[in-house]
Amino acid sequence: MQEHILSILIFFPALAAMLGFIVHKDSARAYGITVAAVEFFLSLWLWYLYDPMTSGMQFMESAPLVAAFGINYIVGIDGISLFIIILATFFTMIGIASLTETRRVKDLIVTLLFLEMTMVGVFAALDAVVFYVFWELSLIPMLYIIGAWGGPLRIYASVKFFLYTFTGSLVMLVGMLFMAYFYHQATGQWSFSLLEWYRLILPLNFQLWLFAAFFVGFAIKVPMFPFHTWLPYAHGQAPTIGSVILAAILLKMGTYAFVRFSLPLFPDASVFFMFPIATLAIIMIVYTAMVAYAQEDVKQVVAYSSVSHMGVIVLGTFALNVEGISGSIFLMIAHGVVSGALFLLVGVIYDRRHTKLMSEFGGLASVMPRYATLFGIMMMASVGLPLTINFVGEFLSLLGFYKQSHGFALVAGTAIIVGAIYMLTAYKKMFFGTVTKEENKHLKDVNKTELLALVPLAVITIWLGVYPKPILEPISNSVESIVQLMHDKAQTPEAQKRIPNLGNPEVKNLQQEAH
Amino acid sequence: MEIYLYIALFAPLAGSLFSALFGASPKTSVTGMVASGLLFVSFMSSVVLLNYVMAGHTVHVEMMTWIAAGDFYVPFGFVVDQVSVVMMMVVSVVSTIVHIYSIGYMDHDKGFNRFFSYLSAFVFSMMILVMSDNFLGLFIGWEGVGLCSWLLIGFWYHKESATWAANEAFIMNRIADLAMLVGIFMIYWNIGSLQYDVVFAEISNLSIPIVTWIGIFLFVGAMGKSAQFPLHTWLADAMEGPTPVSALIHAATMVTAGVYLVVRANPIYGLIPEVGVAIASLGAFVAMFAATMALVNRDMKRIVAYSTLSQLGYMFVAAGLGAYWVALFHLMAHAFFKALLFLGAGNVMHAMHDELDPFKMGGLKKSMKVTWILMTLASVALAGIYPLAGFFSKDLILEVAFVEQHYVLYTVLLLTAGLTAFYSFRLVALIFHGNERHLKYGIHPHEAYTFMLYAMAPLAVLAVIAGMVFKTPYYEMVTQLLPAIEYHVHNHTTFWIMTIGTQLFVIAAIAFAYKKYAKAVRVDVKVESGFFYQLLYNQYYIPKIYDEVFTKPYRELSKVAWKQIDLKIVDATVDGIANVIYRTGEKTHTMQNGNLSSMLRWMVVGLVVLLVLAIAFTVGYNAVTMRAM
Repeated sequence: MQEHILSILIFFPALAAMLGFIVHKDSARAYGITVAAVEFFLSLWLWYLYDPMTSGMQFMESAPLVAAFGINYIVGIDGISLFIIILATFFTMIGIASLTETRRVKDLIVTLLFLEMTMVGVFAALDAVVFYVFWELSLIPMLYIIGAWGGPLRIYASVKFFLYTFTGSLVMLVGMLFMAYFYHQATGQWSFSLLEWYRLILPLNFQLWLFAAFFVGFAIKVPMFPFHTWLPYAHGQAPTIGSVILAAILLKMGTYAFVRFSLPLFPDASVFFMFPIATLAIIMIVYTAMVAYAQEDVKQVVAYSSVSHMGVIVLGTFALNVEGISGSIFLMIAHGVVSGALFLLVGVIYDRRHTKLMSEFGGLASVMPRYATLFGIMMMASVGLPLTINFVGEFLSLLGFYKQSHGFALVAGTAIIVGAIYMLTAYKKMFFGTVTKEENKHLKDVNKTELLALVPLAVITIWLGVYPKPILEPISNSVESIVQLMHDKAQTPEAQKRIPNLGNPEVKNLQQEAH
Repeated sequence: MEIYLYIALFAPLAGSLFSALFGASPKTSVTGMVASGLLFVSFMSSVVLLNYVMAGHTVHVEMMTWIAAGDFYVPFGFVVDQVSVVMMMVVSVVSTIVHIYSIGYMDHDKGFNRFFSYLSAFVFSMMILVMSDNFLGLFIGWEGVGLCSWLLIGFWYHKESATWAANEAFIMNRIADLAMLVGIFMIYWNIGSLQYDVVFAEISNLSIPIVTWIGIFLFVGAMGKSAQFPLHTWLADAMEGPTPVSALIHAATMVTAGVYLVVRANPIYGLIPEVGVAIASLGAFVAMFAATMALVNRDMKRIVAYSTLSQLGYMFVAAGLGAYWVALFHLMAHAFFKALLFLGAGNVMHAMHDELDPFKMGGLKKSMKVTWILMTLASVALAGIYPLAGFFSKDLILEVAFVEQHYVLYTVLLLTAGLTAFYSFRLVALIFHGNERHLKYGIHPHEAYTFMLYAMAPLAVLAVIAGMVFKTPYYEMVTQLLPAIEYHVHNHTTFWIMTIGTQLFVIAAIAFAYKKYAKAVRVDVKVESGFFYQLLYNQYYIPKIYDEVFTKPYRELSKVAWKQIDLKIVDATVDGIANVIYRTGEKTHTMQNGNLSSMLRWMVVGLVVLLVLAIAFTVGYNAVTMRAM
């Protein structure tokens, strides 16, 4: 069973989703929680089986799909994808467990389980076509969640979300086809296998074009400035569960893909585009933080704060050294936990008051002290206080980029200032002051179902902030092999200079492993 | 010894967590008792460690790994050496006293349990700050105390002014923290470690410009926590918090963290004396700048806060001039008498039903005799009268400036000493002497609980003896780690003229303050409407300027960024492109009208276009490849 654990992880939720149609609607919730819990424990088991000292791919499976064109079903994970998969299964589980939606619960749970398959699939796929299929499939459940359970503008928001990301993916698909074509030209055989692509050293001008094509797909997903405007609409209209999954997992697909595709496939282009991308990342950090500050709706504050934090992740990724990339991957996990928790927290108050306008609140700290405490912990994590999960990732990302450019890192570092400004202001508006609205005077504090989701998240936030090693070590080991691969492939002097040579003989080279 | 280190460090955390368990429930005295008891335990462990260190040992432990990625490695490591043990003593003594005092002070507050949870958490953070053996560990404490400061300034969160001040303090500190982070980045990429021992051993191998930048960035970090100009405005506003908080955080401990950083990083600053002089100059400027604002202020707590700011300036003068042990000594002495002053102010506030304007008080020495004595004692110590603590620590800084031949700094500090004496005794005179002006507001003051006064007593003792008794053993201990430079004015005549002159000057300032304020208070309209009075009264208009130059434009700019740029430009462009495509589809769908002949015609058009394109591309491609060959 161990050798097929990844396939089980991918297809078990999908199978369960199909069986879910025949489950009675009253027991749908229990069914969903059970399936998601089994899936989550399977992913924990995967972690248990995972060897943290090996930097390469583990649990690889391969089966031919279209042999003539080199399209194979290849899955495998390393330290980078492992924890994002666990994050996905975890959030699906607590998302279903804390579901407060009452309309068509069964459909929603089936949709979520289907979505879970696509998420695990994306992060486990090592074949470009398989990756692409899961990547695109993930749009459909989310489209459905926003379109069917969303707010008044849900159709506009969901269509915008779908078309925008779909357009980006199409450009990415063209890039993939060209990549396969170049591979065919170079080796005489077709292949979409990522590990085989890693061995291909492309001339710089090819790299630049392909990098750009992949970039469009990834950047819209992240979303990077100026492609980010679909996100506020999607969050604004999506139900809580949709926002949680979107922010915690789906956005990470973009940044994950940068690490998995862009960096090792196109090291020279990555260096070439480092500063333009860093500029975009800094605009994301500062500009969206300002936009977040101007918001009147607390969910939009969290939505824009997501974009701002994703800017730090992108910056860390393009630091192109072990510190920066490890930090950015850790921050993906951290941001998943924290932004997911913040969206859940916004959901808590929305369920009670059916509004998200901050001007409707004020003084909630005295009415809902436990809610205020949990929100406070997550807010402090969001502003990157040391000993919370975010700090580790943010610090390493900025530290990494400081090596590449002092000025850029300094400007990007303003993230810790502007982040504090919008978050503290929002917190003050919601929780401090006196209770002015009659409706707020007798709000109920967080209940047990909500605590079920929020307390574990708070525990993780602090636990991994104090002791990040269990996650950071495998991540760092896998990142080392990517950085070494990039250095070995680098052709331009600029790239050879900027990508460090780790020269560590223990680092297994992915190139050799692909054989 | 390690066990004592861990007890000293984690006892406050245990107290905080214990109180947090009861955070949302109504007052339970046990939280205050347990938290105070655990702090006393922490204090006793610190005493044990002090003895150990005084015997010439140090304790260094590495608890566990914190962050490790690639070559980057930072553990949770703690060190108790000559410098950190001094800080530990200061922190544990003052915090234990403040905790016990708070049991009385917060007696009627419904957030009693929450208060102790925050206060003990603060002590824990402060302990991490001073005990860490690396820069990132220090940064944990640095941000931790910032968080607790935010929680405690905004403790009465229903007050708009309190929460505003809390946010201001946090954000302003964050600005400085960025510089500190950059300093840490520089250290890491140049040395490859953040451990103090490695960094200090290697720092002299770096080029001077790099060391200079490291020194500058770390100092900017220190400026935030220690509220140095131009990041000073938050400290006065932080007085919105409960008074014990002001005593512990905003007088004795947290605000001195910046001084501690400079003292701790003395091997860095020792290499760059120019930066040191800049630090000293800024310190002297702040000393006077803050003292002038204290002269006219009408808020008891703000006066003491400006006084703190001014004394921090003194400490930075000493640290900047390389007299690290002097800076640390003044830090310690100041912690004792300033905490005492604040706690006394707390008693007055309680008696006065939270009235802060000393002009509405007077003659309180009748009803609050002990508080009067304690506050006078603290003020004498602050003014630097022999033989109290301030004389030994503050006048020493004057001597340092003189011996190092920075006569401008010396003059500024001397004048400031006069101002300090004046505003301190202006406050004492207004509160405790003269007519009982509060009677017309219907306030009948009463002395604080006896146990609160007993709690304050150790501080009074320390304020009296800290200079006389501690100076020699302190010097012998810390100079094992810090540069041992004795500052003596060699010429005896000069020494006596300076010492006695300073004393007389200070006494004259005190006498003047008593004369002006101890009897009847006459409001001199002409002076008060004058430019200088207004300038000082409005804190040089700096808060206003910050509001106009930073806060409001940022708010406006944010609105523009959202409403104009994000919605009207970025998003509208995306929708525009989508609309163009959509309309093209709408308009061209008539082509597919099902009429065979028209569709055939379109097909021919398409074919021709494709052919032309194909030819053009082939020709173009060949031309390019030919040239390439």
